[in-house]
Amino acid sequence: MSNYAVEFKNFHYAYNGGELVLKDINVSVKEGSFTVLLGPSGAGKTTMCKAMAGIIPYYYGGRYAGSVEVLGEDTKGRRVSDIAMHLGLMLEDYESQLVSLTAGEEVSFSLLNHGFPPEEVEEPTKKALEDVGLPGRENYQLDELSGGQRQRLLLASVLAVHPRVLVLDEPVSAMDPEGSVSLYKLLYKIHQKYNMTVIVVEHNLDYVLPYVTDMIVLQDGGVVASGSFEEAAAAAYEDRELRRILPALWQVKLNLEKRDGIHLGMWRNTKDAIVELKEKYGRAEL
Amino acid sequence: MRVTAFTQLITVLAVTAVVFILPVQAVSFILVLELALLLYIKHDRMTMAAIGALTVFTGMMILLQLLFQSSLEVAMIGGLRMLVMTMAFLCLLAATRIQDIAQALVERFHMPCEYAFMLTTALRFVPDFLTDSSATLDAQSCRGYSNRGNVFKRMYSYLVVIKPLVMRAVAKSDTLALSMELKGFGANTYKNMKKQELGIGDYLVLTVVIILSTYKFWVKYL
Repeated sequence: MSNYAVEFKNFHYAYNGGELVLKDINVSVKEGSFTVLLGPSGAGKTTMCKAMAGIIPYYYGGRYAGSVEVLGEDTKGRRVSDIAMHLGLMLEDYESQLVSLTAGEEVSFSLLNHGFPPEEVEEPTKKALEDVGLPGRENYQLDELSGGQRQRLLLASVLAVHPRVLVLDEPVSAMDPEGSVSLYKLLYKIHQKYNMTVIVVEHNLDYVLPYVTDMIVLQDGGVVASGSFEEAAAAAYEDRELRRILPALWQVKLNLEKRDGIHLGMWRNTKDAIVELKEKYGRAEL
Repeated sequence: MRVTAFTQLITVLAVTAVVFILPVQAVSFILVLELALLLYIKHDRMTMAAIGALTVFTGMMILLQLLFQSSLEVAMIGGLRMLVMTMAFLCLLAATRIQDIAQALVERFHMPCEYAFMLTTALRFVPDFLTDSSATLDAQSCRGYSNRGNVFKRMYSYLVVIKPLVMRAVAKSDTLALSMELKGFGANTYKNMKKQELGIGDYLVLTVVIILSTYKFWVKYL
């Protein structure tokens, strides 16, 4: 058993009749990490997420080479729903991913589909709803829930089968800043509680900065940098275009490191930065 | 005493057949029963609006029949039958959750699960679709869409709202299909639910339905 949650080996992929979207991807995600997938739009982030879940090439067809392994097993030839028992995927448009009429049905849907008897499903359903902060809402109609609550409901339905890996494609792209912060807080809680590997596509790194451990940077269908967040950020900083999508705080940090030839710590938030800058430079003001 | 979705479905189907067999007095009696039942189950504004719309529609049917030279009596009876039939479906929808109807269709009538699932999904996406359509209407109004002019002109210009709406729906359905695939939708979906067992109430209702539907037969020989 390898201790990689997801491992891409020489993976290439092109949609039907299209050009290569992913080129020679060799990257792995450590089990138990909180990994962020970063890259300019059109870099192949969503395609990569779908490849992890086995939707690519199972659902879309197209040409591919190489392999994707989830928890040490090749996704080739396995049913998408079987992979989903180990790797939960949440796509971007959360509204259209809800398939049932009430919250309870939504969460128990995948459990029932996998053959759990109805009596055994109630308990995990209740627990999954509690985990995402919607306790006791089993009988709520979907239109009684707000946008943010619907998204949490979708998260609950993905978590109900207890996957070991959770993949989220731009979970907060349609949310207000407060909702985004609280969703990531929730994700981190789940990540800690179940020691779940979390892989998230996010443009605004400020949201994930407090929790992230690893980073994969994609550009034009290829992996530019991967590994621990610090290493990957330093590598991405070398590229003029990628530099701009790093958080402002880290741009400052990497710039200072380069200019003064020093090494600064892992800045999770502005406070960390101020403390360390005071230490190193003797002054720092907000 | 509860009646399962299966019995309700059978009853509704039987009513649609029975209106052609029973005499007019009996059909009118069924109508009164249906109205009482419907108002007992649900008496909000939506139900009232539905009843009103049905009545108007029936009136139009009667007028149409008169226009095609039917006698007043035939037209009235035709209208009554239609009203009873549609009212029966209204009762069914008011009394039963659509999920139970879908389950009954798969369990008892052996409908393929994909088609049964369409029922629930359709209901699930109605509010989303309405939101989308108003958003599209706003967006196109900003770009110069207006519903002035005669009927044909209006219909033609409404195409600019429909086109993006359809595109959006198609994109959504793709995501929905993916999501269902991920959640393992398939033959198991309905097999693995709590079975709808028939109770005393069901057998009682079914007996009445059978007696009523064979009315012509036993009235002749008994």
